[in-house]
Amino acid sequence: MFYSPVITNASEVSDANGLHLFRYVEDAQQHRIEQYEQHGGYSALRKVLTSMTPEAVTEEVKKSGLRGRGGAGFPAGMKWGFVPKGSTKPRYLCCNADESEPGTCKDRVLMERDPHAVIEGMAIAAYAIGCHLMFIYIRGEFNHCIDRMEAAMAEAYARGHLGKNIYGAGYDLDMIVHTGGGAYICGEETALLNSLEGERGMSRIRPPFPAIEGLYACPTIVNNVETLAAVPHIINRGADWYRSLGTERSTGTKVFSLSGHVKRPGNYEVEMSFPLKRLIYDPAYGGGILGDKKLKGVIPGGASTPFLTPDMVDVKLDYESLAAVGSMLGSGAVIVFHEETCIVWVILKLIHFFRHESCGKCTPCREGTAWLEQIIGRIEHGQGKAGDIEMIEEICGNILGRTICPLGDAAVMPIQSAVKHWRDEWQHHIVHRKCQSPTTFAFA
Amino acid sequence: MILSQDSIRQIREKAARYPHAKSAILPALTIACRQVGHLNDDIYEEVAQVINVPFVEIAEAASFYTLFPKQPVGKYLIQVCHNISCALLGADALVEYLEQKLGIKKGETSADNLFTLITVECLGSCCTAPAMQINQDFYENLTREKVDHILDELRVRV
Amino acid sequence: MSVTDDFCLRVNRTMTEATKQAATERAPAQTVSLTIDGRPVTVIRGTTVLEAAAQLGIHIPSFCWHPKLKPVGACRMCYVEIERFPKLQVSCATEATDGMVVLTDSDKVRQGRRAVLEFILVNHPLDCPTCDKGGECDLQNLTFAHGFDDSRFEFQKARFAGPGVTTTFDDLRIGPEIILNRNRCILCFKCVRANKEAFGEYDLGAYERGNSTEINAAPGHQVDNPFSGNLVEICPVGALTNTDWRYKIRVWLTKTTPSMDNFFSSGANILFYKEDHQNRVFRVTSRRNDEIDDGWLADVTRYGYQIVNSPERLVTPLIKKDGRLVPASWEEALQLVAQRFGDIKEKKGGVCIGGLAAPYLDNASLYSFARFFRTVIRCNNIDFRSDYRMLPDNPESQFSNLCSRPFRIADIDDSDVTVIFGSDLIREHPGEYLRLRKARNFGHPRIYSLTPYAVKSADVADRAIVYKPGTEELVINALCLAAAEQGLVDSSAAAQLKDKISSHTFAEATRRCGVSEADLLAVAGSLAEGRMVTFIVGEIVAQSKARETIATAIANLDHLLGLSRRGQVAVLARYANSKGAERLGLLPRPTEAIAKELAAIWGDFPDSPAYPTDAMAALMKKGELDGFFILGANPMMLYPDRAFMKEGLEKLDFLVVCDMFETETTALADVVLPLSSWAEFTGDYVNLEGRVQRAYQAVKPSGQSRPGFEIMTMLAEKFGEPLFESAESMAQEIERLLRLETTPKTPSEFAEVKVSEEANDDAYPIALFVVDDAHHSGHLTEKAPSLTSFAGEAYVEMSPDLAARMEIENGDAVRVEAESGRIIVPARISEHLNTDVILIPRNFSATPVTSLLSRKRRVDRVKLLKVDH
Repeated sequence: MFYSPVITNASEVSDANGLHLFRYVEDAQQHRIEQYEQHGGYSALRKVLTSMTPEAVTEEVKKSGLRGRGGAGFPAGMKWGFVPKGSTKPRYLCCNADESEPGTCKDRVLMERDPHAVIEGMAIAAYAIGCHLMFIYIRGEFNHCIDRMEAAMAEAYARGHLGKNIYGAGYDLDMIVHTGGGAYICGEETALLNSLEGERGMSRIRPPFPAIEGLYACPTIVNNVETLAAVPHIINRGADWYRSLGTERSTGTKVFSLSGHVKRPGNYEVEMSFPLKRLIYDPAYGGGILGDKKLKGVIPGGASTPFLTPDMVDVKLDYESLAAVGSMLGSGAVIVFHEETCIVWVILKLIHFFRHESCGKCTPCREGTAWLEQIIGRIEHGQGKAGDIEMIEEICGNILGRTICPLGDAAVMPIQSAVKHWRDEWQHHIVHRKCQSPTTFAFA
Repeated sequence: MILSQDSIRQIREKAARYPHAKSAILPALTIACRQVGHLNDDIYEEVAQVINVPFVEIAEAASFYTLFPKQPVGKYLIQVCHNISCALLGADALVEYLEQKLGIKKGETSADNLFTLITVECLGSCCTAPAMQINQDFYENLTREKVDHILDELRVRV
Repeated sequence: MSVTDDFCLRVNRTMTEATKQAATERAPAQTVSLTIDGRPVTVIRGTTVLEAAAQLGIHIPSFCWHPKLKPVGACRMCYVEIERFPKLQVSCATEATDGMVVLTDSDKVRQGRRAVLEFILVNHPLDCPTCDKGGECDLQNLTFAHGFDDSRFEFQKARFAGPGVTTTFDDLRIGPEIILNRNRCILCFKCVRANKEAFGEYDLGAYERGNSTEINAAPGHQVDNPFSGNLVEICPVGALTNTDWRYKIRVWLTKTTPSMDNFFSSGANILFYKEDHQNRVFRVTSRRNDEIDDGWLADVTRYGYQIVNSPERLVTPLIKKDGRLVPASWEEALQLVAQRFGDIKEKKGGVCIGGLAAPYLDNASLYSFARFFRTVIRCNNIDFRSDYRMLPDNPESQFSNLCSRPFRIADIDDSDVTVIFGSDLIREHPGEYLRLRKARNFGHPRIYSLTPYAVKSADVADRAIVYKPGTEELVINALCLAAAEQGLVDSSAAAQLKDKISSHTFAEATRRCGVSEADLLAVAGSLAEGRMVTFIVGEIVAQSKARETIATAIANLDHLLGLSRRGQVAVLARYANSKGAERLGLLPRPTEAIAKELAAIWGDFPDSPAYPTDAMAALMKKGELDGFFILGANPMMLYPDRAFMKEGLEKLDFLVVCDMFETETTALADVVLPLSSWAEFTGDYVNLEGRVQRAYQAVKPSGQSRPGFEIMTMLAEKFGEPLFESAESMAQEIERLLRLETTPKTPSEFAEVKVSEEANDDAYPIALFVVDDAHHSGHLTEKAPSLTSFAGEAYVEMSPDLAARMEIENGDAVRVEAESGRIIVPARISEHLNTDVILIPRNFSATPVTSLLSRKRRVDRVKLLKVDH
């Protein structure tokens, strides 16, 4: 059976509703190449290598409107187009599978259950940018994904989808499965490249952007697993089909990892612009709040995105709608918590994480996250002082937008929104030296 | 030598695939850690020689990444996720339960050298919380009953 | 000078490397115009905002920026506001673009910087009262300028503790000289970056991450690389300090004097820090000169000044009485010298007197030395080369020609092909090694190292080629043939060349020198294609008995490929003023041009035989040279045949030695005169490029010591023949000589190369090379305690393989035996060496390695024996 018992909505997938990433994720044989090929696998790669120019592939992906699913949402085709045309340096593709943002566990399902889809997507992207050696950087904890990807890679080599002169089309492509060592920061693309080079996973200053000077100072494209997994479908069914899903600026489908206080946590592929409320409450998805308690808040896009309060959850899940309410789609990790959750406790968990994961390069992030953890910890433990909230806000302001990579921003944006939305609760916590809501969560 | 011939062979094979040997630092440390259970300066020295990269580069990189224990650990390294999604579903209580079952505190190793208990940041099991990793394996949707069963099985395996 | 002025000066002196690279890559240089704080400025495209601001005299503070390192944008102190950018930008890593409008001192910028300072101070101990950096600390200065007057951080500061940290101030000794205080560290990473990037050293690292990050030595290792002192100098806070300076004096009590390095030939620019009342130098730091040193100093340069303060300095003249040297007055000593030399001159003629001066002395001393001998003693027996054997006396030789070729250090930056031939570059020319490393970091040059044993400095090379010891001319011949056979040169030149190199084919030559054909084909190919070539010929060639043959081969290569037309080919001068000695006629036979000029100045030039150093020693042995005058040199320690030199010196009737210290050579003297160090008078020096630089007097001469030129002029007066009318006339004479056009012609025809391989000797199977320890240079540095703390005694460096075969472990006593002598030294197993070659440093008087050398050998050979206890 499956390694991970995670719930998906694979049964819902049909040609009619346009869902595609999860079509076979409940098929226990899908990770095997025979099954993948039987389901039409590698036809997109064959089509690309035998009948399309790299420029045409990039153009198609550009046209599809596919945006990066790792968090930043940068248009994938446009990114590929940044690779310098005349450069004689080797080019590299790195699939970012360092899935570590709290709340996010979507790439894991794809790698575990449909690894060839990831390889096929990578290979197409590699061809589009003229790369002959591609990497997948998988977080070191994901042993099962690493094993699956390595096995799939060996199969793909054996069946001629990778290696020399693929399909006789004169294109060579090699692949390396690279494993991380436990560092959230390596999900940030420049830190990932440093890590892949054997350096400490510290982010690099941009410019130069990786597309110009990335891995080994060569042009490099870094794309998320889910982004690349969508590429074969775009090639097979066309950019227009992909564009027909979602909205003008948020095309296609997206996998949301729904976790926290919901009845049916799981990974759900939905069309872009799916209503958040439905994701949480529809019995086919979240099925409502655990114990039918009242909703208190939602983190819509992973631990680094600003909170939504109950009056804001009537929002559609796409880049622009979430931006309009002051949050972000991020990696699509929807974390739900109910009325008995203390917001200070939540924030302490988050800031602990970001302090722990700060690489230590930029002064504001390195020192600021540690300072914030101390102040927030003091409040949570009933020793908060008057002025602490203002101090937190000031420190957050001194980190936001002041660091090389987005980890600094990621650390403070949820805090800023939590202070904004639940200021009274923070105040109460400081004055009464305890939580307004009980915060111990038992496990079954 | 601490590294076995098999580990050295694996490291060499891995390193040979990269355009630059230094890229093999993390894979090499992963292989070494699987064999030894933890890492230390002596192992860095050996890895440095095998992949021909300055020793300090290995030591610096290894210390940056938290996946590799830098001290000896028990036969089973229990890593409990205590980040937000798991915490909302009782990760803190799970840690307490394990502490009580194993008779050790977080960060400690049991007297029989069988279990080491630590907490870690997000394991990527958010939709199957609470979760923990024991050595290479993930255990998800944990309940007291499941934890009891898992620990019993691990003890039997010894 | 204010902090701002100092900063701007430092930045403005030249573009930073990143800018230069950007500028060359986008040739022709384009400019951009922008506005900074309302003032327009036009800069070369690629310039960063920080540098552009500096051109306007606007100081943007930073901690992690360094002009010679790649920017990382870590500390976030250099924020500026740029129009149309919503966020503050780091100016150190933001390229100036056309039309950019920058504010460096807006409210938003000031707020951003204050915030960064507050973050930095969160975990900083603020122990300024006990910190040696106080008064010259970037953090202290910037907090003073921008910071808060109170910390809002209310928690326990993170403190480092643990093994090795025992004192109140958390000091951790991480190397022989360096002390680390991790609590003061603000994690700018400049030290680690410089160590790896600029020096190629891997003994320091950054560990852990986030706010647990710490800088420390490589676990179990010491930070003891030959450039480690720079780490202390570039540390913006008091996290890295050194034993040399700390707790000795506050910086504001010292005054600085500009000077130069006296140990290497590039003449790195330095500052002496002195305190007048104590008449003592307290330290040396860099006085960055981008054309020479890029602001980096070798440790030898940084700590070598300690010899000035040494309690062992000679402070009075000494005269040998009853076999013992006893103090005497200058008057008595000079009188005696004048009388004895006068007697010899009168009875046997000036030709029976000779002199040897040290090539680290200033122009005035060297010139007055030469003038004294040629015009007062009236002989040509003078030399400055005490550590070369079998010296030629022909000033127009191919080797001399190669020594006199023009060379510019900064041209290394722009060379796309550099060959290091026969040089252990770090030990001989540490500054040029860093230059080459920088060229590699910022450009894409092809670099080749060709040496008879594996050297650390080859780590900058694309190919590190090791040839069989003593086959230099074969290697060069093979390069010529490789170029000819690959069709890289026109066929008539190739044919002419092959005519002259008929004794072997390309394949044969490569086989005989033990080098792969592919390697030499690659080098030849690059040399032929290079747009600008730097071809450095090192001491291994200069020291070789076969230097003339090798130089001839190099001249062929130069002519064949036209290297000199596309760059520079030269033997680099070895000592601080070797070039000055050469240009001022300190050779027994100066070049014709110099001799002519001297004759014109003096109205006369002695027409007597002329003997170089070792020929003079031979004459001493034969009793044909009776009086000898040594100014600053120590041939007993440095001449590569100790027994031979000793015999000669002992035979002398009368020996005068001027030195800063008692040495093996002064021990043989009849009169010893105390010599002042370069810190004790103002003097000029000519660096390897021919650049004349002035070192100013920092302190008063130690005891009764005198500079060399004073000794020579006083002595001349005793002869009743004053050397100069005035100081000005001396300066004018020197200037006339230095102005002479001395650039030799580049070779215009091929010459025969007589290959002279030396047979192996089964009884003495191991080749020995005598080197300078990486922390020493010549015979004086063992008087500098900081330098001996890195290496205080001789050792024999050998490959792990050789050690294993001889069952020798690190530190084991090894007897090194040659035909001429033996010494016992501890073993040092070196990961760099990989052949059966051993290295022994020549810097330690307790173990005179020159006793193993024979002047007649091309390659010295020894046998090793492990000494069992």
